[in-house]
Amino acid sequence: MSQMSLFKSARSQGIVLLAPAIGIYSLFAIWPLIDVAILSFQDWNGIKPHREWVGLENYKHILFNDPVFWVSVKNTVIWTILSVIFPPVLGLMLALGLNQKLFGRASLRAIYYLPVIIAPIAVATMWRWMYDPFFGLFTQMLASLGLGSLTQDWLGDKDIALYSIFVAYIWQTVGFSMVLFLAGLQGVDRSLIDAARIDGANRREVFKYVTLPALRPTITIVLVLSTISSLKAFDIVYGMTGGGPAQSTQMLALWAFTQSMGIFDFGRGSAVSVVLLVITLAIVVPYMRWSQAREEASR
Amino acid sequence: MTLAASQDTISQVTTDQNELIRKPRDPVLIGLWISLFIVAVIWLAPVVFITFTAMKSDGEILTSAAFALPSTIEWANFTKAWAKGNFNETFFNSTFITVIKVPLGLAISAMAAYALAQIRFGWNKALLVFVLFGAMIPFQVMLAPLFTLVNSLDLIDTYPGVILPYLAFGVPYQVFILHGFFRAVPKELTEAALIDGATHFTIFRRIFLPVSLPVLAALLILDFVATWNEFAMALVLLQDKHMWTLPLGLMSFQGQFSNKYGELNAAIVMTVLPATIVYLIFQRYFVSGLTSGAVKG
Repeated sequence: MSQMSLFKSARSQGIVLLAPAIGIYSLFAIWPLIDVAILSFQDWNGIKPHREWVGLENYKHILFNDPVFWVSVKNTVIWTILSVIFPPVLGLMLALGLNQKLFGRASLRAIYYLPVIIAPIAVATMWRWMYDPFFGLFTQMLASLGLGSLTQDWLGDKDIALYSIFVAYIWQTVGFSMVLFLAGLQGVDRSLIDAARIDGANRREVFKYVTLPALRPTITIVLVLSTISSLKAFDIVYGMTGGGPAQSTQMLALWAFTQSMGIFDFGRGSAVSVVLLVITLAIVVPYMRWSQAREEASR
Repeated sequence: MTLAASQDTISQVTTDQNELIRKPRDPVLIGLWISLFIVAVIWLAPVVFITFTAMKSDGEILTSAAFALPSTIEWANFTKAWAKGNFNETFFNSTFITVIKVPLGLAISAMAAYALAQIRFGWNKALLVFVLFGAMIPFQVMLAPLFTLVNSLDLIDTYPGVILPYLAFGVPYQVFILHGFFRAVPKELTEAALIDGATHFTIFRRIFLPVSLPVLAALLILDFVATWNEFAMALVLLQDKHMWTLPLGLMSFQGQFSNKYGELNAAIVMTVLPATIVYLIFQRYFVSGLTSGAVKG
């Protein structure tokens, strides 16, 4: 029983249970996070044995000498604003509709959610083909409606490429917001709605004074999750345009990757990563505090 | 908890149908239904378009209308795409990585979640915050240092080299969900079993695992799809094309054969199909798995 005595105390048993998850998590998720911060102050090409300290050089370069960095900041901001507006609003509208007693609503819900489970890279490939300026779906449909003159080089025109990608992104992500809102709507007290109806409130008033206030926590969750996932946008841009044409769809996550893994400037790539990380933390940390306070209040 | 919720939905759906028959139709609801139906058609259109294109010959693609049914099914698209896209290897790699990663990840997450919820260390809360933090951080920012780390361990182009990071980034969300579930089990139950001489290992295996099967099933399905679809980390960690997973294979197929429309679409269909089938079979688990964490937590 020597093995038993080793694991006798609850504490040591607990440590055995915790060790694999915490060990792998710390090494493969937390250490790279620390290392990216270290790398951002160094000059390294990924191969040299020595990583040289250069202080703030990488930050100076990306902030003052790298026009693409600012393009990717601008695109990330546009993308995030659009992601916080369109998928959640559409998702909320679909959820409110599906919350009614309707024929076939389980199938409708399944259809809206389907794109969420398709690999983002496959979504990119699908939409790239749909945007094909000669034989793609949009060109064909416009032509058959007699609107062929409206056909654009959807992904090749630098003024519209970002928005073309965003349409595919909406298609993929609306279902996610919808499911969260549907769950939130389950938590709205049915008797409150009935009471308001008896008191003569119409549909819009019920929504405004009963449903919407009850949905407030869900709305916060959906907005924060939408923001975070929009900052992560990588696969879909990589697959559809790779950041082009002429860097017009470049975004922070992809630019960090391109600098490090494309042209092997790990220092500058990491500096871009750190900028993105700081933006993310500015959203995540207050959110985690809020959700913890809320959980403690509900106990 | 989640099981009860889905049973509620089922009973609600059946009463809904009864009410539909009894009540006179409300014009607002009919208008609503029509608009939801139109949106559903739009949402389904890309999938139909891709599937139809995959079944047409290249000549038919250029001449027939986008949503015209294929006149004959061009199976050659699928066999050619399978061969050219090296699907034998990518399909095997994706399957192998998913089959190892998903159960292993759930096991270590469940163990950690149990320990955090039921054993007092004194620093449970701090450790939980440390783990949850990872659920919010985009791993896309650390692709370069991740490559450096895996490279320094000599694991680039190996299965462990991609499975270990996948495990690490799966832990936070799963621990979060399972911790919420395990915490709801009264500590007295665990304490009584401890007094009877059971170890925490036994309690975890004999009591907590069986009780949490519905949650584990939901997480299993979600994680299957997430692992199957993962692209960015695989792109960095798997350089050798014989080690590629399906998403990497599809990306390269698009690069090389983008003018072979039929084959490209067949490749898309074959990549997406396994996750879609899993989704259609286990639909309700997706919803319960996603919402039990995000909304209630």
